[in-house]
Amino acid sequence: MVTKLFILGLNVLILSGLLGLYALIVGSNVLLGVASSLGLSGGVFLVYSLLPRESTMPSLVEYTRTLLSGLTSTLEDLDLLDANLCAVKKGANILLVFSKAPCPLEVDPGIGFARGSPYLALPVAKEFTESIREESGGWTLDNVENVLRGVLVDELAACKDVRASLEGGFLRVHLIGISQPLKELSKYPVDPYVIYTTMALARALPAKTIRLINRSLTLDEEVLSLGVG
Amino acid sequence: MEGRVYSFLLVYTILSVTSNIVLSLLGESRVDLYLSLNILAYYFSYAIIHPTIASKRAVLLNILLLALFTAIVSYRVYEVLSG
Repeated sequence: MVTKLFILGLNVLILSGLLGLYALIVGSNVLLGVASSLGLSGGVFLVYSLLPRESTMPSLVEYTRTLLSGLTSTLEDLDLLDANLCAVKKGANILLVFSKAPCPLEVDPGIGFARGSPYLALPVAKEFTESIREESGGWTLDNVENVLRGVLVDELAACKDVRASLEGGFLRVHLIGISQPLKELSKYPVDPYVIYTTMALARALPAKTIRLINRSLTLDEEVLSLGVG
Repeated sequence: MEGRVYSFLLVYTILSVTSNIVLSLLGESRVDLYLSLNILAYYFSYAIIHPTIASKRAVLLNILLLALFTAIVSYRVYEVLSG
């Protein structure tokens, strides 16, 4: 959100309301027209103040590139380049775990050894995602889509839309219209879309583990199959 | 928020303020004309600057403004045809 623009939009809206009220009292259609036009402009400013900042994308790409190169080197040293990615909840903490063993639960932040395989576990901060509350015995696909849209579309502007479906017991997430600079990074062993999606879902869903089953990349879409346990 | 979005908002503001001033100086009393010219100013600026926005809110705003503009024009056409 751009606070200055938000305040400007709010001020313009208030001004247009007052002007409209005055126009109604004095019965001036000219003033009413100006007030309605001002109100529309105020609304436009408000909406644009809530959009993701343009500067978000270059900084996100830069940050992701640095994070991924560090991660890739570490994973290479641990012989975990073809490892499975899994988000594990341990109490109030969430850990992103790279391991050849399928989703080991007995992990601590950092590098370690579990179920006969080395692992790299990264703690994830619990921020910006509203938790999905369990509704009538489970989470709904609409809620999953809303959470992922909130993070990937509105906050990070990493893609244009998100669709979720359940297929064969797995959660399939379609990331539509993915951003070109981030797509370039998706070709590397550590895919930023996988990391951001898994992180967002782990923060939001009341599940103990979220593990990546499969991912496929097309022209402007990435499809992730995730196991929610 | 830099670059294109700011340029877009600047052009839009200049166009809508100009249209408001011109219409009020002409003594125009049709409220819908102020609104429709403002919407036109929005789309004109959008087409010229083309701010690259990948957000549902922007798409919703575009749809809403188009619907409002269509309603205003339809009403005017209906008025002409029925009058």
